[in-house]
Amino acid sequence: MSDGETSIVRRREVRGTGDAQAARVNDSGLQSQYQPYKDAAWGFINHWYPALFSEELPDDAVEGIQICGIPIVLRRVDGKIFALKDQCVHRGVRLSAKPTCFTKDSISCWYHGFTFDLNDGKLSTIVANPDDPLIGTTGLTTYPVEEVAGMIFVFVREDDYPLDDVPPVSEDLPFRFPENSERFPHPLWPAAPSVLDEHAVTKGMHRTGFGDWRIACENGFDNAHILVHKDNSIVNALNWTLPLGILPTAEDCIEVIEDDDAPKGMMQWLFTDKWAPVLENEKLGLKVEGVNGRFYRTSVVLPGVLMVENWPEEHVVQYEWYVPITNDTHEYWEVLVKICPTEEDRKAYDYRYKTFYKPLALNGFNDCDIYAREAMQDFYADGSGWDDEQLVSTDVSPITWRKLASRWNRGIAKAPRGVEGKIPTTSLRMRRTAEGVPPGYKVQKIEE
Amino acid sequence: MDDGAQVLFAFADGVERSVTVKSNETILDAGLAADLPLLFQCKSGSCSSCIAKLIEGETRQAAGHTTLLRSEYEAGLRLLCQCEAVGNCRLELGYDSEAGSVRATKAKAFVDEVEKIASNVVRLRLELAADNWVDFRSGQFFQLTVPGVGAIRSYSPATTPRELPMLEFLIRLLPGGVMSQWLTDQATPDDIIDIEGAFGAFFLREKVRAPHILIAGGTGLAPMLSIVDELRAQSGRKPPVLLSFGCTDPDALFGLDAIKLRQQWMPGLTARISVDNGATGDLLSGNPVDAVLAEDVSDPNTVAYLCGPSRMIDAAFARLEALGVNPDNIFAEQFVSSSETGSNP
Repeated sequence: MSDGETSIVRRREVRGTGDAQAARVNDSGLQSQYQPYKDAAWGFINHWYPALFSEELPDDAVEGIQICGIPIVLRRVDGKIFALKDQCVHRGVRLSAKPTCFTKDSISCWYHGFTFDLNDGKLSTIVANPDDPLIGTTGLTTYPVEEVAGMIFVFVREDDYPLDDVPPVSEDLPFRFPENSERFPHPLWPAAPSVLDEHAVTKGMHRTGFGDWRIACENGFDNAHILVHKDNSIVNALNWTLPLGILPTAEDCIEVIEDDDAPKGMMQWLFTDKWAPVLENEKLGLKVEGVNGRFYRTSVVLPGVLMVENWPEEHVVQYEWYVPITNDTHEYWEVLVKICPTEEDRKAYDYRYKTFYKPLALNGFNDCDIYAREAMQDFYADGSGWDDEQLVSTDVSPITWRKLASRWNRGIAKAPRGVEGKIPTTSLRMRRTAEGVPPGYKVQKIEE
Repeated sequence: MDDGAQVLFAFADGVERSVTVKSNETILDAGLAADLPLLFQCKSGSCSSCIAKLIEGETRQAAGHTTLLRSEYEAGLRLLCQCEAVGNCRLELGYDSEAGSVRATKAKAFVDEVEKIASNVVRLRLELAADNWVDFRSGQFFQLTVPGVGAIRSYSPATTPRELPMLEFLIRLLPGGVMSQWLTDQATPDDIIDIEGAFGAFFLREKVRAPHILIAGGTGLAPMLSIVDELRAQSGRKPPVLLSFGCTDPDALFGLDAIKLRQQWMPGLTARISVDNGATGDLLSGNPVDAVLAEDVSDPNTVAYLCGPSRMIDAAFARLEALGVNPDNIFAEQFVSSSETGSNP
């Protein structure tokens, strides 16, 4: 062998082709059907995501967040909200770290004074180089914004995704009732409200989840995970007796919704004969008698929005988002929606939220989901978990979701360049963590 | 004394470049000498990579042959490697001035998998060796050197640049062909193969919103799969895509699972599979050109990509034009077996 040839080497160990043909449900054929989903570690891009609650962005305020690896700065001027890429074209500084605005229609980089038009993102001037030829030739990507019922939604797009192609926010929000009541009857509970309804009021919270957004998302509608909730306070306080689990009994236990110009997602036929509660496991000597709990129903739509109807009480609905920040952090949103036409209704809802929904449901019940998701994270962190997991029949829910998400996403976010979290172990990130500020969603503002 | 003629090249992105062409050199040679980003490969009038459209002026056929049809020649099409300038002329190129910037490079690759996927088709999966890299656009082709023989054969990847360092080729087995023999008798995982590329002016024009019609015969499916995946990854609303694929008989079909998968991933993808003989079930009887119907061309801006044997390309051109597709929006790559011309099987 010549010297030249000895230098030809493989770039890495080739991963075995795997043995996914075994008894598991997710053999390699099925896995390839949701390959695009397996590729979506940084999320689905070109979708509407919640960015902030309205009250987090008062007039003149500036906030920086990150979604799907894209840093975004939000500024509210005279009530109207603008969103731009939060990364100065000059040297990549985040504008939101030290907000500097000299006019109502612009935002300037606090470092070297590059100034961007809020409407179109163009570089409109440079504080100390007003005649520089770069002005007008470059700029920052802008993001469409909608404010609905106390929430700010941003259309997180690729730089070249045409603004003309941006769909209405309703296409990325859960199914609505009563217009879907005939298609998806709900004899056991009233029509779920929608954030888009008149007089809708949202209450809730968002916090950073330390893990892959997909793991978090799948937890929400995973019908086999009732087990983790059996000791939750809400279950005991309200004297619920939950089954051990529920199993699909029909091929059509889940309905996939692919209507034109409407949300794409799936509805689970819970509390019908298409799912059966499991009440006994003889081998373990487990038996549940007198099942008694809430009737609820879960559905999910792109880009990963959960709806739990009739939860935590009648006339209230819970929405959840698992907004990708990086490939191993996400912003977990828990939002309750109720129709409150009067001030009195609002007050009562607010009181109920503070004294019951928040402590027992959003915290008590869902905190348990958070540690359950974290427990899965290491298995999936290097990507191998998606190949190696051994799924069973109850996992029809995540599998159906993965397939429909592979089909209807508007784009798979690419691993970003030059943003926080791309390299998880920068010294700056470690220093902040050591100082008690873990990686998160909002920019860390500079304090003087 | 030869002052030469001024030849102006107009690229699709509006960039214009002018060079002086002497009377004894081809327009291609003059352009390349001036470092223009012109696409070319065989320089012998076969591969059509260097195709351009004469808008003004006159050219003269240099010695050698051209694969252009008479009708194409009359429509102004020229192969720059076979053309000399008679006087000043203006030529339009169907690609932008960046396209030629995908420079052909040589690389070493390891064989990952060799699998016979139809009666006469092998799928060859390669992985570029460490420190080796290539670049290409969906639809372009690479030259593979048959190990131990040294002969060169051209194939288009079925994968996209996003899958690099992995490359996948679909190769038709030809009785007695040197590549075919290597693939069936010798090729094993971890073998090393030399590749060079990318070449060719046949590649997906990006961000076209109009409907796409892709017609593939035999292993002409490979670049079409790459194009479909590229369209899927494209930002913005996806255009409707019709993939019409055909083989001689059911035994010769392949890639149907790959097509089905893409239909699942891409709601706007329609696929029609044809066989000349023995159609059953969902298979259409006939060829992939006939499977394209009048109602598939409802948009006057429809674009079409054709890849397969020259007979199929000619028939597809004629049919698409008859159905109202603008000939400027039809892009074709002929697959010619090495026994016929010595290039681009």
